[in-house]
Amino acid sequence: MATRKKPTGDPMEERIRDHFERNYELLRMESGQVLTNELKQEALNQVLFYYRKMKHVAENVTRTEVRLALPEQRTPQGRRFTIEGVVDVVQEGDETWLYDIKTHDPEYVRQQPESYEQQLNVYAHIWQNLQRQPLHHTAIIATQYPKAMKQAWRTNDLAAFLFEFERWDPLIVLPFDQGRLEETLGSFGEVVDAIEGKQFLPRTEEDLDGGGKRRFATRACRNCDARFSCSSYRGWARKRTGNDRSAAKYFSDPATDAEQNDWVDGNLGSEDQTTSES
Amino acid sequence: MAKKLDLLTSLFSAVGFTPNDSQRAAILHEAGPLFLTAGPGSGKTRVLLWRTVNLIVCKEVPPERIFLSTFTEKAAHQLKVGLRYLLAIATSQTGRHYDISGMAVGTVHSICRQMITDRRFSPPGARPNPVVLLDELTQYFQVSRRAWDHLVAPLGKEKPEDAQRFLNKTIEDADNGSKHLAVLNAIKAFNRFAEESILPERELTCDDDWKLIREVHAAYINWLNQDEVQKVDLSLLQQKALQVLQTHPEGTRLFDHVIVDEYQDTNAIQEDLFFHLAGGSTNLTVVGDDDQALYRFRGATVENLVQFPERCAQRLGVEPTRIDLNINYRSRSQVVDVYTHFIDRIDWCKQSGQGHYRVQNKNIQAHRQDPRPSVVVTEKADSEDVYAELAAFIKQLKQEGKINDYNEVAVLFPSVRPHNGTPNAAVTGMRDALQAHGMRVYAPRAGRFLETEEATVVMGLLRMIIGTPHEPEWNSHSYQEFRRWLSRCRREALPYVEQDKQLKAFIDDRVAEKQQAADDLTALQKVLQKKKWAPTDACTLEHVAALTKATNLSTRAIKALSSKYFRDMVANRAKAGNPLTLTYVLNRTTALDWNVLDLFYQLAGFAPLRSWFQLAEDGTREDYDEGPICNLALLSQYIGRYQDEFTAILTGWYMHEERLANSFFRQYCYALWRLGESEYENDDDPFPRGRVPFLTIHQSKGLEFKVVILGNMGRRLREPSPLEVAVRDMLGKEGEPLERHAEFDAMRLFYVALSRAKDLLVFVDKKGGHVFQPLKCFRDLQLPKLHDLDIATLPPATAEVDDMGKAYSFTGDYTSYLTCPRQYMIFDKYGFVPSRQQTRLFGHLVHRTVEDLHQFLIAQRHGN
Repeated sequence: MATRKKPTGDPMEERIRDHFERNYELLRMESGQVLTNELKQEALNQVLFYYRKMKHVAENVTRTEVRLALPEQRTPQGRRFTIEGVVDVVQEGDETWLYDIKTHDPEYVRQQPESYEQQLNVYAHIWQNLQRQPLHHTAIIATQYPKAMKQAWRTNDLAAFLFEFERWDPLIVLPFDQGRLEETLGSFGEVVDAIEGKQFLPRTEEDLDGGGKRRFATRACRNCDARFSCSSYRGWARKRTGNDRSAAKYFSDPATDAEQNDWVDGNLGSEDQTTSES
Repeated sequence: MAKKLDLLTSLFSAVGFTPNDSQRAAILHEAGPLFLTAGPGSGKTRVLLWRTVNLIVCKEVPPERIFLSTFTEKAAHQLKVGLRYLLAIATSQTGRHYDISGMAVGTVHSICRQMITDRRFSPPGARPNPVVLLDELTQYFQVSRRAWDHLVAPLGKEKPEDAQRFLNKTIEDADNGSKHLAVLNAIKAFNRFAEESILPERELTCDDDWKLIREVHAAYINWLNQDEVQKVDLSLLQQKALQVLQTHPEGTRLFDHVIVDEYQDTNAIQEDLFFHLAGGSTNLTVVGDDDQALYRFRGATVENLVQFPERCAQRLGVEPTRIDLNINYRSRSQVVDVYTHFIDRIDWCKQSGQGHYRVQNKNIQAHRQDPRPSVVVTEKADSEDVYAELAAFIKQLKQEGKINDYNEVAVLFPSVRPHNGTPNAAVTGMRDALQAHGMRVYAPRAGRFLETEEATVVMGLLRMIIGTPHEPEWNSHSYQEFRRWLSRCRREALPYVEQDKQLKAFIDDRVAEKQQAADDLTALQKVLQKKKWAPTDACTLEHVAALTKATNLSTRAIKALSSKYFRDMVANRAKAGNPLTLTYVLNRTTALDWNVLDLFYQLAGFAPLRSWFQLAEDGTREDYDEGPICNLALLSQYIGRYQDEFTAILTGWYMHEERLANSFFRQYCYALWRLGESEYENDDDPFPRGRVPFLTIHQSKGLEFKVVILGNMGRRLREPSPLEVAVRDMLGKEGEPLERHAEFDAMRLFYVALSRAKDLLVFVDKKGGHVFQPLKCFRDLQLPKLHDLDIATLPPATAEVDDMGKAYSFTGDYTSYLTCPRQYMIFDKYGFVPSRQQTRLFGHLVHRTVEDLHQFLIAQRHGN
């Protein structure tokens, strides 16, 4: 099903729509998965709004999707490994920026910048020290836009949309601090040891209950197909829902009506597909 | 120059490598084509790595100007890891950074895919056309389910069975009307044609039957190209890549060096590709061993290697320099003597008397000059006694410290598969003997994946919900076998349901929901009949009102029909002039809120699936085992495939006439059953610890084992297939005589087997076993008997060598692991197919589109 169109008069946005539909078609076939209409629309909007808001960045990108690699790292247990990452590079006058574009919520990035800083630090290190190229700024572009903006867009409330669009700030400049690099590399090494040592226990029940405004369990676990077989999630859900859930015949975690509607729409499509089967 | 040589020398010493003369010459060879013959254990991969490092570090060739291809994903992975490692060492000496992320390194297929999708290979600013790649399984289902009618149309047969019989008869000389076989045969012909550039537009003479097959092929190609996003199978992928290069103005100058490993396994289209790529520079290096060519059945033509000098002179205008990597560093000297003696047991001279079908004068030498016995033979006795002797011997090797782990002993077979339902006696006999001695075996290709415990239990549970398929009108031996498997699945799942009330309740509820969907559909259809509405009629709110009043409609369906969301949808679509049809409304109203993949993940919440996940969650557990989770991952992938090919949503329609069970079991699983898909194999990891690997000789290629036991010495020689004859006739190409293909192939197969052994090679002589004639040479050699071997003369076990390290992505591995280690394990490490999770697809879609936007803007700025 095609995403909704709103005329903008900008041929560039038409081009984005074209690319977007083509990419979606391709990914759909490659992965065998579909996005619900709502999510698909949101994905398109993230790109369109990124372009509108961050035009100066987009138009100045000198290299896109640059692969960076940091070889010859050692884990605490002595394993050798290489760190890899991908960035976009903008050369503006005499200044070089490294950007990492993420489909995350900018407010979340601002509140919990640590892991993003770690990442940019490593990329900055590779760029400056290994590739010996100049670097002046590093930043995250977080393309998720707020609910109020979504609401205004959906209801075609132009004034409200423009107001929210002005307030929306997807650019988060995070200074790179090479002093903390060692710490990140050390932590990375520990993760590599854990992966090679087959340490795959789920996050704890306490972790699931934490995470600020939106609990980890609702943000991450509810979206995880493996939650039914996850001891932490089952424990968390049992405690949280108390007696009524324990009286249930078995552990289940059904989708909401809205989620279900979206899922059916996405999968059933608008064709009479099921009658043509034989 | 001297300085640069010093640099290379100091790099050699940094890793403790002392190349021999021919290795050194191969690494340093400067310009023009290079022909490297590389015998077993001759350090070929090392030479290739160092040759590439020399180019990048000493000759300062930018990595993106180098093309380096090999045959398997595993070998490609090893090349990349090795390059990163050696280049990092170079960085520590030169202070310069070498980035191979832009280098064309991988399997030929992966590089071809890059060529047709990567902007670098298309004119500036233009975007290559997207294509969808069909792997073997998808190709099978697409041809069999979507394209078939279209493909057989040119045959003009009224009955499908006649068309199928024609295909089977013409392509494989099989008098059989089976569609399954016909699909496989048609695909075989399509792939072969693509590899030989026998495309529909090419004029070739052939008889009428083959003219028809070529028309079927043309219909196939049309069918692949009919949609905006074209489909490409693995063979046509190479054709497409060649077309891209031929139209590219710089197509012959994209690379300064083209290096091809495993050249004996390349096919005709790949040869064209390599000569085209090297057309500008003539720097084409090919490496391989014709005696180890095993992939004729996949279209490989060993003549590419054997005739390389002539072809190179013809196509590049230069004779290649030949260097023989002839020193075997792997095997003790008697092993080398035996396999070099064996390969000369047949006559390789060309019929004309001029030249040979084999590269001559390789002068293979053993580096390990150890005169003690390293090739032995068992006492010729009844097979059971022979197997018992071998089992006791393997156990003794471990006890006496000659091996660290049972996975250092490999038992090799030409084939391990059951034949027409009869188990492979050599495999089962050896396995039983080892198990009787308390040893476990690992035989990933000996059985069907669907027969593993994980598969039978999951399928058994699914069957209790999905239902039992109807008996087909046709019947066959193989379907009976499949039915027995289905019954076994049920039997194996039943105890879990009987022991677990919750699981029972879960299954009962799902079955009730299915029934309800079926009943609701019947109730709604009655309304349509009564009102004389056609299923294709546009649906209005009045229709909805009438449907809501259908007799015996469930509350769930009433709720669905009366929800505001749904009514708005009906109204909006009508208003927009694009109304919903009644069929759509019926499907939507009776859609279940789960599909087969959802069932899989929900069933994972019960025993035994839950504990199978847990076995892999903690590597420190005594009973840690990743076997089950690997098979579960593969199951999720197969169920995901079912949903791609058949349906991701289950409506009331699927519940009528057991359509769900028929499509899932009788169509889909039965096809998997017949294709005989084998167990999960992980390319990155070595064989599981603690088990003796039972491998096909094909699987053992490129590997080495401390001890190799040749478990079966028989090989049936087949006649050349009509397809090969037809291809040969159409092209009139010279090559190995068709009637000798089977013999040559068997020679090379056993040559590979014999040359895998490092310290000891064991021939299994037993009563009554068929032995491939030339292999009988082991009798003339008067080899010592196994029971006379003094185990003390075998070299002691050695420690494993440290690997060169893996690459981890910051976001894909590190951040993802920190988010949830278990989720990382399931979806990233083992590759489970998600059902409802959409975050990955969402992220990919946004990133790809932003990348396209940036690419376009960059091109625009550069005035394109």
